[in-house]
Amino acid sequence: MLRFFISFFSSLFQMMIHILTTKKHIIQNVLSIYIKTTGGNISIDIDPKCDVSHIKKMVAPQIGLQPEELKVIFAGKELGDDIIIEECDLGQQSILHVVKIKPGNVQSKISASSTPNSKTLMPLCESLDDLMFSASSGSRTASISIGNETSTSDSLLDEIEVVANNEKSKPKKVHFYVYCPTCKKLTQGKLRVRCHFCKSGAFTVHSDPQNWSHVLESKQITGTCENDSEFCENILQNKEPTFAEFYFKCSEHISLGENDQAVPLDLIRPNLRQLQCLACFEITETIFSFPCEDDHVTCLDCFEAYCKAKLSDRQFWQHPEYGYTLACPSGCANSFIKEIHHFRLLDDEHYERYHRFATEEFVLQSGGLLCPQPGCGMGILADPECIRITCQNCKYVFCRNCLQGYHIGSCDPPEIQETSGTSGDCGTELNCDNRNGAGDDASRTTIKVITKPCPSCKTPTERDGGCMHMVCTRAGCQFHWCWVCQTEWTRECMGDHWFG
Amino acid sequence: MTSAMSPSERRLQKELMSLIKDPPPGVSVDAEQAEQNLLQWTIHMEGATGTLYEGESFQLQFKFSNKYPFDSPEVTFVGSNIPVHPHVYSNGHICLSILTDDWSPALSVQAVCLSIVSMLSSCREKQQPPDNAFYVKTCNKNPKKTKWWYHDDSV
Ligand SMILES: [Zn+2]
Ligand SMILES: [Zn+2]
Ligand SMILES: [Zn+2]
Ligand SMILES: [Zn+2]
Ligand SMILES: [Zn+2]
Ligand SMILES: [Zn+2]
Ligand SMILES: [Zn+2]
Ligand SMILES: [Zn+2]
Repeated sequence: MLRFFISFFSSLFQMMIHILTTKKHIIQNVLSIYIKTTGGNISIDIDPKCDVSHIKKMVAPQIGLQPEELKVIFAGKELGDDIIIEECDLGQQSILHVVKIKPGNVQSKISASSTPNSKTLMPLCESLDDLMFSASSGSRTASISIGNETSTSDSLLDEIEVVANNEKSKPKKVHFYVYCPTCKKLTQGKLRVRCHFCKSGAFTVHSDPQNWSHVLESKQITGTCENDSEFCENILQNKEPTFAEFYFKCSEHISLGENDQAVPLDLIRPNLRQLQCLACFEITETIFSFPCEDDHVTCLDCFEAYCKAKLSDRQFWQHPEYGYTLACPSGCANSFIKEIHHFRLLDDEHYERYHRFATEEFVLQSGGLLCPQPGCGMGILADPECIRITCQNCKYVFCRNCLQGYHIGSCDPPEIQETSGTSGDCGTELNCDNRNGAGDDASRTTIKVITKPCPSCKTPTERDGGCMHMVCTRAGCQFHWCWVCQTEWTRECMGDHWFG
Repeated sequence: MTSAMSPSERRLQKELMSLIKDPPPGVSVDAEQAEQNLLQWTIHMEGATGTLYEGESFQLQFKFSNKYPFDSPEVTFVGSNIPVHPHVYSNGHICLSILTDDWSPALSVQAVCLSIVSMLSSCREKQQPPDNAFYVKTCNKNPKKTKWWYHDDSV
C-alpha cells in the first residue's frame, strides 16, 4: 500500500514536472483519463504529448507489475509504446484499459514508427479522424478502413484520394454522426468496441470493421477479450469465437462513463463523393444518404424540409420493423430509413408531432381509434364492442362509428352502421363509459361536427370548405371518399353533391 | 447570400437561373416577375411547329409552396388563350399525373414544361375534356385538390 502511494505520487510528481516544462497552455494540456485495470480504476492526469510507454510506467507500479508486462488497449486496439496520446484524440474522462500480457499471446501491436507515412497504421481513434471512410457507390454500405493490415488494396480509398487531389487538399476527415441523448442533438461520434459477451472494453479486434454492417450488426468481427476469464462467460465456457461489439460515444461532451452511449446515425455522412442534394442542388459537406440503389442524397436542411412536408400530410409509413419512417423522396424501392433516430434532426416542435403521429399510427394499426376533437387526437384503444367512447384526455364522448357526439340509435349518415341501439354494453374497457343515456344529448348538440372519419381507416378528417370530395392523406390509405355519403367517392357523388 | 434562403428558395433560384439561361425550345419564363416573387412564375409556351398548336402561344402559371420540391407545384394555363385539348379544362386546369400523384422532387419546372409540350404535341384532335362543363362549374380553385380520373394518356 505504501509502495502504491509512493509510486503514485512520484509519477504524479514526474508528470507535474513534465507539464511544467511544456511551455504553452499548461491547464488545457492536461488530459484526465481513467485507467481501467483488473484491480480497479485509476484516475490519472497526463500530458497529451506523452506516449503509451509513459502511461505504462505510470500505471505499472500501481498494480504491482513491470511496464513490459502491460498492454494498453483503447477502442479495440492495443496501443504500441511509441504512440503519442494526442494522436489517439482521447477525450477528457476517456477510459484506457491496461491488462497484463497473457503468456504466449502474440499480438500485432500498432506502432506509429513502423511506417510513419502510412495513414493506415494508426490506432482506432476516438473521432476516427484517421479512418478513410466512403459511401461506396451501389452497395450503399460505407466502407471503413482502419487497417493495420496494409494489404487491402481498397479501390474506395483510391476514389477518395482522387477527390482529394482534385481539390488540392488533404483527404477529408472522417466523422461519424450520432444522436446524443445527453446533448440532445446531432453530434460527431466516436466508434468504440467492447466484448460482445462481458461488455469489457479490454478487448482487441482481429480485424477492422470495413463497412457499416460490420459495426451495426452483431457478431461480425472477432477479437480477443482481455478481461479476467472469471468475468467473461465466453472465455469461461471456452466458446469460440469471441465477438466484438461496436458502439458509439458522443465526442462533444465529457464522457459520463461507460454507459454514456450515442445512437449512430449511419445515413448522415461526410459528402466524400461531392454528391448533389436532390432537392436544392447544393453540394454540402454533410449529407443525408438515402438507402436506395440510386445514391440519392439530400443536404441536412432539405432532409428536414422533406420530413416536415411529409409530416404535415401524415405521409410517413408505419414500417413493421423500423417504425414510423420515410423512404427516398424519389420513391425508390426498398429505401426506408431503418434508424428512426434520424428524425431527431427535426426541431422540437416537429419532432413532437412526429412522435404523436407515430403513436397515433400505432394506435390505428392496433385497431384503436383517435379522438376526433380538433386539437386532441388522443389515441384510444377500446373494446371493439364498445360504441360509446369517452376520451380520457378531453372528456369528449363520441360514437365510435361516426366519430360525432355520442347518440342513441343509428348514425346520421345512415349507411355507416346499424348500431341497433345496444351501444352501451362495453364491459370493463377502461376508455368506455358504462353509463347509458344521461348527458349524451347535451354533448351531441354542443359539439359541432368538424371531423368525420375516413371510411377506410377511421382517421378523423377535417373538411376545409370546398367540395365534398375528401382524400385521406394518411400514408397507405389515400382513400377518396365523399363527405356526404361517407363512402368511396364516385361519379354519382360528383353529379349529386360535388359542391356544398 | 444563399445562406439566408430557405432550401426551397435555393432550389427555385437555381431552376430559375437555368431556365433563363437555357430554356427548352418554345418555352420562356417571365424572369422579372419570378425574381420578384420566387413562389409564382409565369411561363410562356409556343405551340410546336408541325403540331395542332403551331402558331398559338400560351401562358402557364406555376405556384410553389415552401415545401417545394417535396410538394408538387400548382400548374395551370392562364390568360386569354387556353389550349383546347382533351386533358386541359377550359379553366386552365391540367390533367397530368406528374402534377399530383406521380410528382417527384427529381422533377423540375423544366421537366413539367417538357411534359406539357409533349402532351400538346401528341394531340391528334383539338377537343375539350368530355366532362369539361361540369368540372369547371364544380371544381376547387386549386387543381391539386382534384381527384383526377386520369384520361387515357395516349390521347
Ligand atoms: Zn453529447
Ligand atoms: Zn469478454
Ligand atoms: Zn438541399
Ligand atoms: Zn432513391
Ligand atoms: Zn379527446
Ligand atoms: Zn354514430
Ligand atoms: Zn384513410
Ligand atoms: Zn356522395
